[in-house]
Amino acid sequence: MSIDFSYQETWLHKINPSLKLGFVFLLFIHLIMIHNTNILINYMFGTLILYLFFTGHPWKRLMIIFLPFLLIFLTSSTSMIFFGKGDVTWFKWGLIHITEESFFRGLHLGFRGIIFAIIGVVFALTTRPVYLFYSFMQQLKLKPKYAYSFMAAIRLIPLMIEEMQTLHYALKVRGVQSGKGIRGLYNKLKSYSIPLLSQSIRKAFRIAVAMEAKRFSNSGNRTYYYQINFSKVDLVFVFYLIAVFTLSYYMAVQYPYFPITDVRL
Amino acid sequence: MEKGLKLTDILVTIIIALIFGIIYKLWGPLYGVISTLGLHVEQLIYGMWFIAAVVAYLIIRKPGVALLAEVAAAQGEFIFGGEWGVATLIFGLGQGLAAELIFAAFRYQRFDMIVASLAGVASALASLGIDFYYGYIGDLALWNLLILFGTRIAGGILISGIFAHLLVKALEKTGVTNLVRPASQEDYKALG
Repeated sequence: MSIDFSYQETWLHKINPSLKLGFVFLLFIHLIMIHNTNILINYMFGTLILYLFFTGHPWKRLMIIFLPFLLIFLTSSTSMIFFGKGDVTWFKWGLIHITEESFFRGLHLGFRGIIFAIIGVVFALTTRPVYLFYSFMQQLKLKPKYAYSFMAAIRLIPLMIEEMQTLHYALKVRGVQSGKGIRGLYNKLKSYSIPLLSQSIRKAFRIAVAMEAKRFSNSGNRTYYYQINFSKVDLVFVFYLIAVFTLSYYMAVQYPYFPITDVRL
Repeated sequence: MEKGLKLTDILVTIIIALIFGIIYKLWGPLYGVISTLGLHVEQLIYGMWFIAAVVAYLIIRKPGVALLAEVAAAQGEFIFGGEWGVATLIFGLGQGLAAELIFAAFRYQRFDMIVASLAGVASALASLGIDFYYGYIGDLALWNLLILFGTRIAGGILISGIFAHLLVKALEKTGVTNLVRPASQEDYKALG
């Protein structure tokens, strides 16, 4: 594959990966406990700034990645808006029953979905998997056999994609037709997944035997090629999050967008 | 003997999980498109997100594999930039634990379609439990909530129960599963 995926390194890349993931988790738990849409919208701007200006990826790529986010907004919010419970009816047509409460609850879910998506993508765009797993081993004491397995597996993905291409051509050259309807879909799925899975398992098995022979599974005292440590950038990240957090609350109280403070009511 | 899973088991599990991780990632946009049809039709394909645990367990047949596979698949989806971000990891953990519990309840001795389907149902229930906090689904109108429950559980049975079982059955014919499975009672009998 010749997809250009170059980017500039920013301060987000230099954050300790374990710490980054830890705070992303904390954010998740905190976000679930926020029931005020005003705070959530401010929060979204805070994360959007990171996404737009500090991932080090070109604008075009960021825009393409952002498109499905809008779909996320729709899928997370629509069923709650149309079918949620509520007392103040705005619109009723057959099964669809939009109430003020369900509308704002749906909106809230949509924004929440977008924030998770942004945080997740920021993490994915600014973290190299290899550093992530080295950091897991060094800071979180993950057993090396898990971490190295993961890294080896990630390296195999491009191979699998290539294999899928080959498979696609092979089926085409031989004129394989899988038929129509559910049966056809099942046949098609089978003709791709069985060779792919079996080849990958064979490959993984061989690699694992070699890795065991080289004592990759050894979990005693070992040295690491990459030493991942904490730095000042980690503090910057933590302070940024604290700032976003306090500002969101302050602005939500001072300048609310909607007069609703708890969407569950 | 080393306790727990060996590196071979782990690597094979993670490879399987990552293949499904890619599918999980591709499933996101598909789910999004279908959900615009309304009435929770999209829940029928939700079951794909439980499949890694079941397939990995049916192939390797060892304790802990289901949980590891589902978490690894979720981690994979997360690393590839899945639309749900960190939420994926929480759901993966819950779904994997639920499937693992079902397999443990049968003492890791049964590998048939019924157990696979039960694991699918358990994963569906786990994801619904998380959605209670995450998606406020308790605030949906009752009939709508029931459709959501029904379609998601049905999807779990169809995809990660029946389809997963058929997939592994087909895979067994290639002989690749013998590489990674522990020796069974029949193998010892064959030795005489």
